[in-house]
Amino acid sequence: MFIHYHMTPAPMTVTADQTVAEANDLLQLNNFRHLPVVNEQGLLQGMISDRDLRSARPSSVAQSKERHNIEERVKNTPISLVMSRECLSLSRLATLDDALLIFQSRKIGALPVVDEEERVVGIFSIGDLLKAYRCLFGLGEKGSFLISIEDNDDPQILSKLVNIMEEKKVEFTRLVRSNGTCKSRPMIFLRINTYNVRSVYKTLEAAGFTIHVPEMTP
Amino acid sequence: MKNEPGITIITDPDFSRHDTGGGDHPEVPERLQVITERLALGSLAGRIRTLASRPALRSQLLAFHTEGWLFRFEESVLSGRTYIDHPDNQVCYDSYEIATLSAGSGLVGVDVVEQQPGSVVFCQTRPPGHHAEPNMPFGFCFFNNCVIAARYWQQQYNRQRVCVFDFDAHHGNGIQTAFEEEAGTSYISIHEHPSFSYPGTGWAEDRGLGAGTGTILNMPLPPGAGAEQVLRLLPRIRNFIEVMQPDALVIAAGFDAHRQDDMSGLAFTVDLYRQLGGFIMELARDFTAGRLLSILEGGYYLEKLGVCVEAYLAGLVEKSR
Repeated sequence: MFIHYHMTPAPMTVTADQTVAEANDLLQLNNFRHLPVVNEQGLLQGMISDRDLRSARPSSVAQSKERHNIEERVKNTPISLVMSRECLSLSRLATLDDALLIFQSRKIGALPVVDEEERVVGIFSIGDLLKAYRCLFGLGEKGSFLISIEDNDDPQILSKLVNIMEEKKVEFTRLVRSNGTCKSRPMIFLRINTYNVRSVYKTLEAAGFTIHVPEMTP
Repeated sequence: MKNEPGITIITDPDFSRHDTGGGDHPEVPERLQVITERLALGSLAGRIRTLASRPALRSQLLAFHTEGWLFRFEESVLSGRTYIDHPDNQVCYDSYEIATLSAGSGLVGVDVVEQQPGSVVFCQTRPPGHHAEPNMPFGFCFFNNCVIAARYWQQQYNRQRVCVFDFDAHHGNGIQTAFEEEAGTSYISIHEHPSFSYPGTGWAEDRGLGAGTGTILNMPLPPGAGAEQVLRLLPRIRNFIEVMQPDALVIAAGFDAHRQDDMSGLAFTVDLYRQLGGFIMELARDFTAGRLLSILEGGYYLEKLGVCVEAYLAGLVEKSR
């Protein structure tokens, strides 16, 4: 769950006195959307994103001559004038949940990761977060899929499920109990690794569980 | 009857020697028996000729599988193991030999199609194949029968642009693995959505990689989907094939999407299989000069498997006239 295991370490960085044109080239060339801005000691100064660069450029409806002049000025502008200085950061021991909450509340796409001295040691993006949760939930693990079991409020339902799966030697890798929301019922999700779903369903139903079959229409 | 198109079934009594251990394993020899019995009694009975399979050569298996897997598979069964990698993949002493014979049914089928393009050729075979990966078994599958047939078609007859259309309820991960980086081959699959169904692959987002970008067409269906949802997809499949311009079509014909088959949550009807047969024969007529081979994959509800296969073959026959 720690950011350390999911971040991109030793990310490419820029300094505040480099130009907007240089930052833009780096983003384009490497297909990045964010660059941490650091000083000579590698300490975090801010972040610059493709959105910051787009905002600095003249409007596409500006007249062509005026637009050209502004473009030239922007290109030579130092990064310090367009970067975000008040950027948030994560420590290596921050968790995926910390990052998720920040991404959600601040609507940003990436966070620099710093050590105790504010030295940039990594970058963590929404893409990294999705990849991390994908691994956690086992999405795309060949040979596995989810079954949904209706939650009957039995406080021991999880241990009963685990016992049945182990007794019947059904491999499973994830077990998630989810509270209902206004849009969905309380449910238990089990990621099982077998083709023989018929056998699993029969076993669970014989033990009193109800397999939830998703509705086709909302 | 004299002028009615014939049906060639490639099968072998030895397929029953692949023993999956009894218990509640659904991939059983009776699957082929119920198909044979139904075809012998039903309306297609007088048109059927049966050919025996032949074992695929080691070199033909290696067109997809690794040497390491062949050794491991053979060694596992000869040493008396009862399953390989996962209890799903039950084996017996004869399983390697029979899987080789099962893979060979597609080779016999390709030879027949090349001699008689436009004819109906169906490999009634087991163990199935579309989940098998180059180096490991998956989901009751050991050798990838469809891919091995496709490779044979390429190598023996120079039909390079082979398309596999898979209507089994489960995504054929092994076929996608084989083709996803190639520009000339293609794979179409309709299957139950990977969130809810084995093997958890076959996302609509997967469209191929590198040179193979655009050669994979995955069309996952939500649980409960039936004829209405499938028929809506047919124009997309036809358009895709029009773009791919295949030389030959291999059908991974699985029947476990039938509404009473509890190995999937899909709700196909018997008549839908007849309609799929008709649609597929039209594709073969319009795009591959009749070069079409169907290979059995899944289908585990013994009371309906026979009629589903019969309906599919009837659909093929109706449009092959």
